[in-house]
Amino acid sequence: MRYPALLPALVLLPLLLSAMVALVPRGPRRLAGAAASSITGVLGSAVVLALMIDGGSWEFALAGWEAPLGITLQADGTSTAFLALMTVVGVAVTVYAAAEPRLAGGPDFWPLWLVLWAGLNGVVVAGDLFNIYVMLELVTLAAVALVALGGRSAAAPALRYLFVGVVGSLLFLLAVALVYAETGTLDLLQVTAALEPGPVLTAIVALTLLGMGAKMALFPLHAWLPVAHPAAPAAVSAVLSALVIKAGVIVLWRIWFGLADDATAVRALGVVAGIAGAVAVFWGGAMALRSSRLKQIIAYSTVAQVGYFAIVLTLADGSAAGWSGGVVLVLAHGLAKAAMFLAAGTLAVAYGTDRLSHLHGAITHTPMTVAALGIAGISLAGLPPTFGFVAKWQLLMAAIEQGAWWWIGVLLLGGLLTFGYTAAMVRATFNRPGDDEVPAPHRVRSVLAVVPFTLAIASVVFGVFSAGLVDLVAEDPTVRGHG
Amino acid sequence: MTFVDLALLAGPAIMMIGLVGHLLIGDLLRRIIALNVASGGVMLVLLAVAAREDVPDPVPQALVLTGIVIMAAVTGVALALARRVDAVSDESEDR
Amino acid sequence: MSLDIGVFDALLLTGVLLAAVAAVLVPRRTASVAVFLVFGLLLALLWARLDAPDIALAEAVLGGGVTGALLVDALASKQPHAPPRRLWTVVVGIVAGTIAFLAAACVVSRLSGPTGELPRLVDDQIATTGAEHPVTAVLLNFRSFDTLLEIAVVMAAVFAATAVSDRSWARELSASGELRTIAMALLPVVALLAVWMLIAGTTRPGGAFQAGAMVGAGLVIAHLTGTRHASTRGRWGEALIVVGLVAFILLAFSTAVAGEGWLVLGESWASAAILGIEAVLAVSIGVGLARIFLANRNEPGEAR
Repeated sequence: MRYPALLPALVLLPLLLSAMVALVPRGPRRLAGAAASSITGVLGSAVVLALMIDGGSWEFALAGWEAPLGITLQADGTSTAFLALMTVVGVAVTVYAAAEPRLAGGPDFWPLWLVLWAGLNGVVVAGDLFNIYVMLELVTLAAVALVALGGRSAAAPALRYLFVGVVGSLLFLLAVALVYAETGTLDLLQVTAALEPGPVLTAIVALTLLGMGAKMALFPLHAWLPVAHPAAPAAVSAVLSALVIKAGVIVLWRIWFGLADDATAVRALGVVAGIAGAVAVFWGGAMALRSSRLKQIIAYSTVAQVGYFAIVLTLADGSAAGWSGGVVLVLAHGLAKAAMFLAAGTLAVAYGTDRLSHLHGAITHTPMTVAALGIAGISLAGLPPTFGFVAKWQLLMAAIEQGAWWWIGVLLLGGLLTFGYTAAMVRATFNRPGDDEVPAPHRVRSVLAVVPFTLAIASVVFGVFSAGLVDLVAEDPTVRGHG
Repeated sequence: MTFVDLALLAGPAIMMIGLVGHLLIGDLLRRIIALNVASGGVMLVLLAVAAREDVPDPVPQALVLTGIVIMAAVTGVALALARRVDAVSDESEDR
Repeated sequence: MSLDIGVFDALLLTGVLLAAVAAVLVPRRTASVAVFLVFGLLLALLWARLDAPDIALAEAVLGGGVTGALLVDALASKQPHAPPRRLWTVVVGIVAGTIAFLAAACVVSRLSGPTGELPRLVDDQIATTGAEHPVTAVLLNFRSFDTLLEIAVVMAAVFAATAVSDRSWARELSASGELRTIAMALLPVVALLAVWMLIAGTTRPGGAFQAGAMVGAGLVIAHLTGTRHASTRGRWGEALIVVGLVAFILLAFSTAVAGEGWLVLGESWASAAILGIEAVLAVSIGVGLARIFLANRNEPGEAR
């Protein structure tokens, strides 16, 4: 069997496992779910390895029908990078959720988590526009249900999340309908070749920007995120911020860099997205500084980081450094954000709350968890030698290359804000005089501290050895379709 | 302008009616209905696109069939959540 | 610009638009659901006029029937008081919507004409797909991966609705003798209809979805009338909900391992495979929809 034939398994295997795990009685389901998720993780790593060894880009036509009749899956360097992120964070979350069911939302977590994983893998390797729509719906439904596992109070945020997700999907579906009406095909590569510049193209790009902007919580469409992400169980929050947001990001990037042309209207859209991104960086950072709860700080931090993903739309235009910077930033953010949310969950178990005012003494009680928060924050802020630094450095290079001084200011100031709220989180865990009289926090299993710490360390180690990755990603097309 | 052209215009109109309604309405059940109206508009666009050919194009028709099933599933989940939200807010009012 | 459109079509288009506006504007839940059902019916009629009678039937059964039943059932809970929006947000919303519509209208009117290439390809290859109707060929052969994922979406929705529910649906209902008699009379009819729709689906598109909706309706009747052995509760219910997806994926794996590739159907056995898949899909969709309906219910007399 040729390697590309592995691609459908990325979606079908976790779906099959999900159906089977759902049949396991609720008692032993945790074991079955953990086993099934591990198998999915092994498959993911195998595909990532094969893609890296093979080096090229894969294409696979399902049901034996080439596009436009059939559906094509495709994988390139960018898909490899995203898949690697899904796999690393997926495995980490699996270990964490298996260790502490309360932080995952109980036995209902496992089938939904496997469906979500299948959908995320699918969005990354999808090459057909309508297929992307179906995958996005799969991701949305599973993610919403996982948020709802956060208890009775999570129902309202979950519903709001569902509303935003479905509105985003409908806007994207309208774009897909326009694509089909104009070109007579749904295959992304064929569409790229066939779509002529004009108002239809502008409308397709605008609808995608709006739809995916809603799904990835781009300012000013972000208001649902700081409500929904903290409401979910900690393991779910980590998946939402680290991975689910990225489904919207990769769809937006694929459409934008595949279709967008140099027309004035499209340029204007790029500027609008850039401004929205810049405002998001400041707004998210400022709100994170003002928040008094751990999970809320981390959620607002995601709002800020999503801003960079929108800025990439202009910075990566025709610039390899900008493109690889964007992809590396997705990875760096994924690792750091997963580490942060998992660490926040661990602290919430230990102290019964994630209020900053109640966490003092955590640094001696569970230093590894606090270290995870700190290291992940440093990576997000873009300080060397972390992964986040590599990403921001590439973006900085791209900005200098293009003489876009304006973005340099955004990058630096955003980093400063990130450093600020990270420091606030870590400082809250310091010992205070008189802590001996405070009742000791609950003991937490060491694995709950090890998992976030490992992710945080990964964000440093990958930073040191990231040159290969940057090369891999840089080979992907970065010039816009008609540029 | 033919019937199909007008249907192609009615699709976006219905979608916008549904979306604007969805964003402006407060009641959850009515917001779900508005979302379904919007979805009907998008499906209408796809079917009008299919009907531009002499023999209707089966591909957009198949997409619509898929879309309808997905929307029904989404509506089911949305209603289940809405019910829970209403129940929670009921309790907090009673207190 | 001349209008080339019949009176009935013009009335239909106007009616759909008015119904859409009314469904959104009517403040009371009951009226809103009623208008929405009318909207669904008119929309189905419109689709039938757009040369898509079978899609129209699916919309009537799924969009109108299933969604309608869910909505009507949701009316049982009382409407909470929602504060009205401020005037300026309403004005901004309507202005933005109008601008968006005008932009969309401008774009839609500039679409280039159809190439007809893909329908021609479908027509050329349909003889090898094992399906007689082009829409069925697209759904279960050319783009079977989409349909597989669609079943996964339904399964995910069932998981979601079940996880959100208070699990009161899992209890047995007791029902009066008369209700049981009604069920005894209705259920065979529903079962027959489902089988007929499935068989008819070999020559007409989407048999599995309409048949599935029928199965769902029958199960809901069975549940509400307290008929034993026909409920979707317990282990069997779970198994029936996932069997459609599992069978579809197993078919995909076996074609990948032993056949010519993922989901490639051999010409000689394609029609049998399609009918088989449609049958299990109908069962899973039916049981799944019934479960979503039940998960949405709060059984009478059970306070939360």
